[in-house]
Amino acid sequence: MVASFKNMRLAGLVAIWIFALAFFAIRSPAFFSLANVSSILQFSTLLALVTLGQTLVILAGGGGIDLSVGGIVSLSGLAIAFGVKGGLNPYLASLGGITFGGFLGLINGLLVTKFRLLPLMATLATSYAYNGLSVALTEGAPLSGLPMSFGTLGQRSIAGIPLHTVLIVLPSFLILELVLWQMPVGRWIYAIGGNERACRLLGLPVDLIRLGIYVHSGLTAALAGLVADSWLLSARPNIGENLELLSLTAALLGGTSIFGGSGGLAGSLVAVFFFTSLQAGLQMLNVNAIWQLGFVGCFLILSVLLDRIIRGEETK
Amino acid sequence: MHRLVGRRAVTLALACLGATGVLQAFSPYFLTTANLTTILHNSVELLLISLGVSFILATAGIDISVGGALGISAIFIGWSVEAGWPLAATVAIGPLVGTCLGMVSGIVIVAGKVPPIIATLGLFGLYRAAIFLLLGGSWISGLPNTLAPFVNGAILGMPVVALYVLAFYFLGWLILRWFPLGTGILAVGGNERAARLAGVDVGKSKFLVYAMTGFLVGFAALLYVARYRNVETSTGETIALDAIVAAVLGGSSVLGGRANLFGTLLGVLLVRLLQNGFVLAGVPSLWEQVITGLLLLLVLILDMFAARNARLEME
Repeated sequence: MVASFKNMRLAGLVAIWIFALAFFAIRSPAFFSLANVSSILQFSTLLALVTLGQTLVILAGGGGIDLSVGGIVSLSGLAIAFGVKGGLNPYLASLGGITFGGFLGLINGLLVTKFRLLPLMATLATSYAYNGLSVALTEGAPLSGLPMSFGTLGQRSIAGIPLHTVLIVLPSFLILELVLWQMPVGRWIYAIGGNERACRLLGLPVDLIRLGIYVHSGLTAALAGLVADSWLLSARPNIGENLELLSLTAALLGGTSIFGGSGGLAGSLVAVFFFTSLQAGLQMLNVNAIWQLGFVGCFLILSVLLDRIIRGEETK
Repeated sequence: MHRLVGRRAVTLALACLGATGVLQAFSPYFLTTANLTTILHNSVELLLISLGVSFILATAGIDISVGGALGISAIFIGWSVEAGWPLAATVAIGPLVGTCLGMVSGIVIVAGKVPPIIATLGLFGLYRAAIFLLLGGSWISGLPNTLAPFVNGAILGMPVVALYVLAFYFLGWLILRWFPLGTGILAVGGNERAARLAGVDVGKSKFLVYAMTGFLVGFAALLYVARYRNVETSTGETIALDAIVAAVLGGSSVLGGRANLFGTLLGVLLVRLLQNGFVLAGVPSLWEQVITGLLLLLVLILDMFAARNARLEME
């Protein structure tokens, strides 16, 4: 019953996505050109990576939410660009930047697990700190002029599919799915989200798992920062803007319950592709990009409302 | 005396004095009448919004859409001034729009049972898009001085703006201390289930809190437009965080069940004092967000330790 409901929901989301694609294809024949599909995938990577992290944070329950992902994308992107421009080996700089993102996630995780702050308050505060830092350190100007050789990951593509989709997004998704469904840790994440107290009584390392999940969210955000750097050959201090809203909406629209314990990554990813298609489609129809923000705000509220109506009161 | 003012207020007052001392050491300009007036001047909108946010936190809710609601209300006020509406109508439109927006949050949260953070984050996205679309990319600026009679002037040496703020705080205090509504609000935040069983109309209490905050946001927008006579797309962008910091500094618990309006008032002053002082001390204003974010973390952590100690003492 639960499984069939989940599949129905996923099917519904895919149907909405296909409907949107069909709409845009009719209104603008160039929509399905290779170049446009490629650019949709190009745009989707940042959001997809951040959403993978966000989904796990929400899945693990306890009011889990990471509002600082956008700030981590910007800040670790800057760290990587800073390293590369400083003459560091690009691989080393990337590795350093990703570690740094993990460290920023660790701060969130410690605030939540050790200091027992509400996740939404802790990450709201760090989101302002991280976003503020990336603007303050650069005085708002992008750190540009990365060498062309650094653009391989972000700009190359194989048969129209961007390299980072193949090399980062797909493997991350597959590995995480494997972990979630086949490994004890993955099952524990669902269990913690479902009933934290029971898990504690069972002796599961609840706090450690949660800490790891925030670190993971930092890592995926930093990967997004790396892809952005490589794509634009510059690090923008506001590249992560609105990613917290978008990733949260994608995760919830994809069927993850805001209370944790149920949902999954596949739905989140479909929601990400839906959003990026929407963005690309609206752009081709010359609709102001700001509309997307409004749509997403509505989707966020509607997806939680819908969740309530479908599941009834069983979610409490 | 202790009961009337509370330990929190004393701590905050001391923190204000301490910060003043340190900041004065960095910039001799800090402790001048002109600068202190500037700080008070800059606090007005935040004072009103923080009052509402204190009530929301007391119900264990949160509102991060206040900045967006402030912007939209300000746009409507700006338009009504441009259109040359009579003073009474211009004064009414801001709080009216604000209240409507607050009611939207209230309906989504109460009737839709959407967690406040999700509801207000979604609405914030929507409001920001609306602000851009309503303004059409250009700012409203150089408005005529229609609203001046409403904000200029003084009664018994007190600027009227200060009187508005104090009146709202007094009203808030009355509601919280003497009205069933206030008791209900605190009860809902303290233990929603128990409050419901005790006969408190939980939905009504929550709804009214968001509607009330909307009204205060609309009134803040009115004072904003009256004083600055322009509306920008970035109006109110970071005020939600400032309001939460001020309320939490003032002694509101983010877990609900507690509100300290006098504390909130001092909290606002401390936030604005620090922000002003850091700029005078030579820290670029770009760092303001970082400082406010860290301040929030610091207060939350200190509060957590204080609560833990209090628990230990009880055992």
